Amino acid sequence: MPDMATEQKSFKFKVVLLGEGCVGKSSLVLRFVENKFSSRHLSTIQASFQSKTINIDDCKAELHIWDTAGQEKYHALGPIYYRGSNGVLLVFDITDRRSFEKVKNWVLEIKTCLGKSAEILIVGNKTDLEDERKIARQDAEAYAETEGAIYMETSAQDNIGISEAFEALTAKMLDRARTAPTEATSANRSIRLIDDEERDGRSKRCCR
Amino acid sequence: MSDKHGDEDESKKAKMHLKANDLLCVNGCGFYGTPQWENRCSKCWRAHQNEVKKSQDFAKNKSLLSFDQFQERRKSTTESKSRGIKNLFKTSPIPEGGTSSPTSTSPAGTPTRRRDLSPDSLEARKQFTDFLVINLTTAMAQEIARSVKNAVGKISEMKMNSEDMSELVMSYYQYLGERIGVHSLFNSPDCKVKVEDVMDQVEKYISTYRIRSLHWVTAGYLETKLVFKKQAVRDKIDEAISELIEINAKKSAFEKLECLTRSCKAIFEALKESESATSADEFLPTLIYILFRGNPPLIQSNVKFISRFAIPSRLMSGEAAYFFTNLSCALEFARNMNHESLQMEKTEFEAYTSGHLAPPLSVINSACNQAMYVLEGTIETIVTVAKKAESLAKNITNMNGKTDDDLDKMLVVIKETVDFYPTQEYLNMKESIFTEEQETADLLVSLSRQSSESGRGTLSSTADNTQPSTPQPQTDSCINESPLVTAIKEEVSDSS
Repeated sequence: MPDMATEQKSFKFKVVLLGEGCVGKSSLVLRFVENKFSSRHLSTIQASFQSKTINIDDCKAELHIWDTAGQEKYHALGPIYYRGSNGVLLVFDITDRRSFEKVKNWVLEIKTCLGKSAEILIVGNKTDLEDERKIARQDAEAYAETEGAIYMETSAQDNIGISEAFEALTAKMLDRARTAPTEATSANRSIRLIDDEERDGRSKRCCR
Repeated sequence: MSDKHGDEDESKKAKMHLKANDLLCVNGCGFYGTPQWENRCSKCWRAHQNEVKKSQDFAKNKSLLSFDQFQERRKSTTESKSRGIKNLFKTSPIPEGGTSSPTSTSPAGTPTRRRDLSPDSLEARKQFTDFLVINLTTAMAQEIARSVKNAVGKISEMKMNSEDMSELVMSYYQYLGERIGVHSLFNSPDCKVKVEDVMDQVEKYISTYRIRSLHWVTAGYLETKLVFKKQAVRDKIDEAISELIEINAKKSAFEKLECLTRSCKAIFEALKESESATSADEFLPTLIYILFRGNPPLIQSNVKFISRFAIPSRLMSGEAAYFFTNLSCALEFARNMNHESLQMEKTEFEAYTSGHLAPPLSVINSACNQAMYVLEGTIETIVTVAKKAESLAKNITNMNGKTDDDLDKMLVVIKETVDFYPTQEYLNMKESIFTEEQETADLLVSLSRQSSESGRGTLSSTADNTQPSTPQPQTDSCINESPLVTAIKEEVSDSS
C-alpha cells in the first residue's frame, strides 16, 4: 500500500492512534490536522479519520490517521484497527499512571500482532499539566527504549511537540519503507496471493 | 418427472407379475431390491439413506441459504433468462415427498430469488460488455471478455467453500490486473468483474440473528451521547440506518462501501447535531447502536463479501477503509458482547437476550421508541413554557411593585428638584400669586381700614378664608400634578 509510486517518492501510511479514553487522542489529531484545540472539541470536522500529507526530505508522505475508541470495552477490537498499519501512535496521559500501564499492554499486543512491521511512537500527552505529572519523563523514555519505540511528549492544548511527533514517526516509517519497500509493506498480500494461485491450480485439477 | 411416474407404474406392475428382472436393485448393482427400500438392495438403500439424511441436515443447518441453492443460484446467473424462468416452472410443481429429486429440499423462497438475480446478472453482463466495447480495442475486449467469462464459469462450476472462492477471486484480480496493466489500463474492469460474483455473498448468514436478539440494547447502555429529542438527530440516524440497509441492495463491493461511507457521514452529522464530540470515542458506540437499531439484512455476509472481493488496496487506505474497519469492529463487538461489556449482571444480560425478561423501561432505555422521543420532547417544551410563563408573571408583579416605588421616589425627587431649581413658570406663578396676595392684602388692608372705621373684628377671619382660595384655580390650570399642587399650597401658605 505505501509504495504507490516509488519514483515520485510519495508514500501512503496508515497510522493508528491507540490509548485509553480521555488521554487526548482526538485532540492530538485535531491539533495536528487542523491546528485547533477546544476543551470540549466541538469541531466541525470529524476527528476520527483524517489524512494529512507531510514532506520529509524529498519524500511526500500521506498519513491516514485512524482514531480509535478508547473505552475499555472496545479494547478487544484493537487488532481490527491496527491490522495493516504502518505506524502506531500510543498515547497516554502523563497525569494518569493507569493510562501508561495500558500503553505497555498495547505495545505487547502490537508486537505479537504486527511483529516488527509497524513503527511505534509513544506519546505522553498533557504536558501543560506539569504540576500533576505522575509519570517521570525518564521512566517513559527508558521504557520506550527497551521496546524500540520513540518517546515524545506533547501538549494538544498548547500545541507543543505534536507536529514533531508525527514527523518523527513518519521519518521512521519512511526509513523502513525505503529500506524494505516490498518486504515490509506489501508482504502479506502478495505472498498470500501467490499461494492462492497455487491452490487455485490444485483445485482445478481436483474437480475436473 | 414423467419418468419417475413411469417408474412407479412399472414397479406396481412388477409387484403384480413378479418378474425376476424387476426385483433387481434399481441402481443396477446386480443384487435384488425390495419395494420397502424403493426397489434398492440393502447396500444401495443405506447409501441412499445416508445421502438423504446428509442433504436434510444440510438444509436444516443452513435452512435458508444451503449450499445447494447457493450453487444453483450462482449457476443460474450464467444461464440465460428464459432458462431461469423455465427452471422456475419446472421446480415449483415438484411434490415434497419425492426423495429421489435433489431439489425437493429447497424452501419456497429460492425460485423468487433466482428470478430476481437472473436479470441482474444479465444487466451486469450487458454493462460489462458495453464497457469493454466502448473503452477497449476489439481484440482486447474479446480477450478480456473471454477471460472473465471463463473465470466466472469456473467459479460457478467448482464446488468449494467461500474461503477458497475468495482466494480464487483475489488471485484472479491479480492476474487480470497484471494482464490489463500491460495494456496500460485503469482498474475499473476489476470492479465490473465483481458484479458477476456478487451472488457469492449470500452464503454467510450469521450474525443477523444475533443482532436481532440484542435489539434491546439501546443507546443508553452503549453510552452514546446522542440527543434523541432533536428532530435533526433522529432524521440523521434514520438516514444512517437506511444507508446501512441499502448496503445489501448494492451489488458491487465498491457500491457497498459507498453506502457505508454515506451512513457513517450521517452518523457524524447526528453526533454534531447532538453537540457531542465527533471522535472515535463517540463514533463507534453510535455505529454499534445503529447496527442494533437497524439490524441491516445480511450485514455479516456483506462485510465478508467486501473483505473478500474488494480490491485489497481499497480496504487498506482511505476513508471507506476506516469506516469499513469500524463496521467490522462493531460487528465483532456485537458478536462478543456479553454482560461485562455492558457492565451488568450475567443473568440479567442472558434474560434480556433470550427474551425472558424485558429490559426495564427507564428513561434512557425506552428512548428507543420514536414516539417516546417526540412525547418527551413535547413534554419538555411544555414544561419550559410553563416555567417561562410563571417567571413572566412573577416579573410582571415585580415590575408593578417597582413602578409604584419608582413613582413615589420620582415624585419625591421632582419635589426636591422643583424646590431647588424652580422653573421660570413657577417663579412667574409665584410672583403673580405674590402680587395677587399683595393686592388682596392691600385690598384687605383698605377694607380693614374701612371696616375699622365701621367696626373691628372680621379682618382676621376674612383674610384667612380668602387667601388659600384665591390661587387655587390658577394652580390647577397650570400644573396637574397633585404633589406639586400641595407643594404650591405649602408655598402659598409659607409665603402668607
